[in-house]
Amino acid sequence: MSEKLAILWPEIILFLGTCVVMILGLSPRIEARKACAAVAAIAIVLAGIVGSLAPSGGSALLPELMNYSKGLIAIIGLLLLLLATGTVDRAEERAIAAGQRTFDPLRATRGEFYAFFLFSLTGLMLCASADDLIWLFLALELTSLPTYVMVAISTRGTRSQEAGVKYFFLGALGAAIFLYGFALLYGGTGTTNLTEMHAYFAANGLNPIATAGLVISIVGIGFKIAAVPMHFYTADVYQGAAASVSAFLAFVPKTAGFLAILAIVAAPGWAYGTSGESLPPELRVTLWVIAALTMTVGNTLALMQTSIKRILAYSSIAHTGYMLVGVIAGPGDGSFTQNGVAAVLFYLLTYGVLNLGAFAIVACLEHDRGDTTEPDEADHIDDLKGLCRTKPVMGWVIVISSLGLLGLPPLLGFFGKVPLFTSGIAAGEIALVLVLAINSAIAAFYYLRLVNAALLSDPDPKGETLRETPLPLRRVAAVVATGGVIVLTIAAGGLMTAAEQAGTYAPMTHDEAERYLEAAGRASQAAELPEAP
Amino acid sequence: MLYLLMAVPLLFAAVIATRPPEHARWIALVGSFVALGVTLFAMLQFSYAFGGSTQLEAHTPWIPALGVTLDVGVDSVSLLLIALTALLGPICVLASWTAITWQQRTYYAWLLILQTAMVGVFAARDLIFFYVCFEFTLIPMYVLISLFGSTNRKKAATKFFLYTFTGSIVALAGLIYVAWWHARGAGEWTFAIATLGETARQMPLSVQMPVMIAMLLGFAVKVPLFPVHTWLPLAHTEAPTAGSVILAGVLLKLGTYGIYRFVLPFVPEAVAVAAPTIAVLSIIGIVYAGLICWVQTDVKKLVAYSSVSHLGFCVIGLFALNHVGISGSVMYMINHGLSTGALFLLIGMAYERYHTRSMKELGGLAAKMPVWATFMVFFAMASVALPGLNGFVSEFMCMMGVFQADDAWAAAAGSAAQVPGSTPGPLGPWFALAAGTGVIIGAMYVLYMVGKVCFGPLVEPAGHDQHAHGDGHEGDHHLPADLTPREIWTLLPLAAGCLVLGLYPSPVLDTIEPSVSNIVSLYDDRVELPAMMPTGDTDAPADRPAEVMP
Amino acid sequence: MTPTTLANVDLVSYLPLGLIITMAVGFAVANVVLTLIIGPKREGKTKGIAYESGMNPVGTARKRFNVRFYLIAMVFLVFDVEVVFLYPWAATFPNIAPGSPDGLMWLIRILFFLFTTVIAYIYGYRKGVFKFD
Repeated sequence: MSEKLAILWPEIILFLGTCVVMILGLSPRIEARKACAAVAAIAIVLAGIVGSLAPSGGSALLPELMNYSKGLIAIIGLLLLLLATGTVDRAEERAIAAGQRTFDPLRATRGEFYAFFLFSLTGLMLCASADDLIWLFLALELTSLPTYVMVAISTRGTRSQEAGVKYFFLGALGAAIFLYGFALLYGGTGTTNLTEMHAYFAANGLNPIATAGLVISIVGIGFKIAAVPMHFYTADVYQGAAASVSAFLAFVPKTAGFLAILAIVAAPGWAYGTSGESLPPELRVTLWVIAALTMTVGNTLALMQTSIKRILAYSSIAHTGYMLVGVIAGPGDGSFTQNGVAAVLFYLLTYGVLNLGAFAIVACLEHDRGDTTEPDEADHIDDLKGLCRTKPVMGWVIVISSLGLLGLPPLLGFFGKVPLFTSGIAAGEIALVLVLAINSAIAAFYYLRLVNAALLSDPDPKGETLRETPLPLRRVAAVVATGGVIVLTIAAGGLMTAAEQAGTYAPMTHDEAERYLEAAGRASQAAELPEAP
Repeated sequence: MLYLLMAVPLLFAAVIATRPPEHARWIALVGSFVALGVTLFAMLQFSYAFGGSTQLEAHTPWIPALGVTLDVGVDSVSLLLIALTALLGPICVLASWTAITWQQRTYYAWLLILQTAMVGVFAARDLIFFYVCFEFTLIPMYVLISLFGSTNRKKAATKFFLYTFTGSIVALAGLIYVAWWHARGAGEWTFAIATLGETARQMPLSVQMPVMIAMLLGFAVKVPLFPVHTWLPLAHTEAPTAGSVILAGVLLKLGTYGIYRFVLPFVPEAVAVAAPTIAVLSIIGIVYAGLICWVQTDVKKLVAYSSVSHLGFCVIGLFALNHVGISGSVMYMINHGLSTGALFLLIGMAYERYHTRSMKELGGLAAKMPVWATFMVFFAMASVALPGLNGFVSEFMCMMGVFQADDAWAAAAGSAAQVPGSTPGPLGPWFALAAGTGVIIGAMYVLYMVGKVCFGPLVEPAGHDQHAHGDGHEGDHHLPADLTPREIWTLLPLAAGCLVLGLYPSPVLDTIEPSVSNIVSLYDDRVELPAMMPTGDTDAPADRPAEVMP
Repeated sequence: MTPTTLANVDLVSYLPLGLIITMAVGFAVANVVLTLIIGPKREGKTKGIAYESGMNPVGTARKRFNVRFYLIAMVFLVFDVEVVFLYPWAATFPNIAPGSPDGLMWLIRILFFLFTTVIAYIYGYRKGVFKFD
């Protein structure tokens, strides 16, 4: 118990932050309400520091995963928080400041918004330290449940509510599917502990029920990472939510899903197939098909969109497909170039930063149509026209982010993709790597449209109402993310070393597994004895 | 040294971005001249006797986790191509002097950045670094075409970007596969080109083949080879003059350079098998593009298609796999840059005056612009390989190489060494004959174009006389009827280059010799296999040069 | 010793169970389908109205409730669940040896749980759930 507590301090800090924020947000004093974001930021920073310095723990199969992930989550989480400022209650606060209305706690959603924000990050960090299926399920749901509400309250429009409800129902479906998978896994192996499950697989091999459980779990978690066939909600939900929340959705549940998939897939491990270095065949084929379809569907559908948020939504589906290549490839010999797990972890970082920059542009531009209503987001691709000339900072943010997402060298996205290539090839997945290569090329088409509009087009005459958001922190987030792309490009080496370490995979040999099971078997028998009343 | 060469244009580009737009072209001019100076200095430092080995090397670690470095170094072929790039730099700036009147800072800054990237491609000794520069040329070119091109520029720029990006990302997969093959054997990852070459040559044919196809896909798009050439005419036609010059002069050479640097030395066995197929594609390209040229009315498009045709010679020369062919091909890379670049410049000059490129609206310009017409005829002749000019040397050598590259002939004679001038290879006289028709077609369409545009009755676009000598359309500058001194000085270095290389090519041939020998030796080894040379006791073939140790 | 798992069990022994499930589902489906096919159908206005335990229905069922009903329901749920957790804890706690580290842990756990409900209470209070006006 207490050793578990030692690795849970980041989550506890976030939770305490949540409690404070929830109550501060309902204070009748404006200063107290404004402190919400600051408290949330402090909590995230503290959690990040504690999380990356904490003793390693979590799953014994991926022993170094936790610290890297928590640091990563805190960094991107902080940027997302900057971007999320002013998402809710803007018009309300303006009316209160103008004296038209008094503060009504029932109408205010600021406290809840930040509280859910922190709750979701708590869940995400829990995913990083999960070593048990039940823990993993709770962590995944703690990540997702707050996001349903965040989507619904992110704007006052009915679209957000529709998006929230759609997201909720499909999310529940996804959760039900992977819970079913977890149940089958338990049925097939007799344990919910992932290390023990690994030992069971290593000692006894796979059985059909466990295999079915693995496949169903992966498909269900596909909802979190927006993989085909669970991707249908993505575009509608991202479009319906405010851009800051869409950015959140594109990173947080996706990261949670990938951490969960890595944890689950690590249980059977990469010790099957003809080479003895790939996933169990059924699992590999499932992931293979999902990856190939996800990339292709995401990229193809993105070609036809005119809404920036929809383009980015489909592109985020495509990036899921890319990352799945790393999951299929597996840890190889553990060096960064062959370690698909490390490639995924590194890609999550590059994707998080770049994607944030791209969504930030939508969050930072708005159409001002008088001050009675909330300003509209500038979500149409035509809104970007001539941006590099009219608003150079914003223009270059979108140009650099798009080119980075495209994977154009020498930007960060390219160095995210190279390890996926190398690990995929090293694992013998040549065909999948070719699919990845061709998809990267398809992606060029729609990213170029964004670049083209911002960098090379003349400003749209209809764009007179377009202005930069008055919220300074959002612009800070956009600029920091873009600056981060350049800085991280130069510092990529160090980060890759960190990711390489984080991707360490420690499987058991057959004998070790049997010894482990024996010990665990005795222990579990002891636990089953009823406690003396 | 080479870093300096890459940093100079970049620095000046940064200066341009911070200075007022009126200064942009002057800064760019100074920058490109400084770069040219540094290049000349580098050429002096280079030891030509050991041209086949990598010189002026510098090592910088970049991303140790991936084994990626920023290593640079040049052999003689790289050096010559860098020199070509540096020479075209000031010419491009001068060519844009009056044509670009808006967003000057953007234009000149990207032009210089493009130069950095191109030098990077030729100088890189690390595969990932090479690829980074190779891909990064796309962005400046994309911007130049889509901001400063003519009417259809957006489409052209996008098509250009997508074609090359698609091709090269597949090439990347192939190259990484080679790196993996190395890592599997050696236990550690490296992307050093020389090391990977060693490894790649040891791969069995069944592995070499897909790797070669992947690499060729990337480089063939850039060349462009026949089925994937369609982006080029569009991009050329729509690009601004300087863009076309760089595109024809250097960017297309990135493709042939890639074949020279990667495909030929990496996968010799696969190349030997596939050479006839590639040669057939090249010949189709030569003839087909030539025929298209014949029916063009747009002068710029005509020259663009002629590029496809010419690069076909270049590729077929490379795949002749013998000394003459490859040397000729490398020569061709340089010559084509000079003569076609100059043709694009001339067309750009005429366009600045008349705002049309249609042969229906232009004719007999020799009457009005004698100097222009002189240059036009000169470079057209260089382009169709008139003996005495540069095109002849390289085209002849390419054809020669193809003609000699005949296994059947060599086998019939017993061994390669016994028939003078004959080297084993998969091509032969029939291929040379087919490609030769391309020469004839080339002569026809170029002469037709020159005859129509320069001579005959004077035809000018309707309404041109109202704006006599001037053009009030885009800029307020007034150009005289014939060329200005600036324009003449732009063309003269190119003309001089054509003449010198045409009359006295041996210095250049001597320079590239060691580098080419390194590659040819890989293919000569093939002959010494017992199965192919039953006698087995002959010395090295007479025409085989002394090997230079890398 | 490995734990007993489903996979180790002979699936054939589940056959009777499967048979019963099939029969149950089959029976239900058959009844519904048969009723649809052979049952008499008499439609009428009176038959269509909602069943309100014999009274005539008044107004529409789709009426909006004050949102406070939901809030109160949720607050009730919070405290209800709290008791559900507290009771077994209170019944077990006296059995732990006094002064053992286990005892402290148990205490901390329940205090943490109570802390969360206190937060929920403060939140509810500030949100105005307990104002009945």
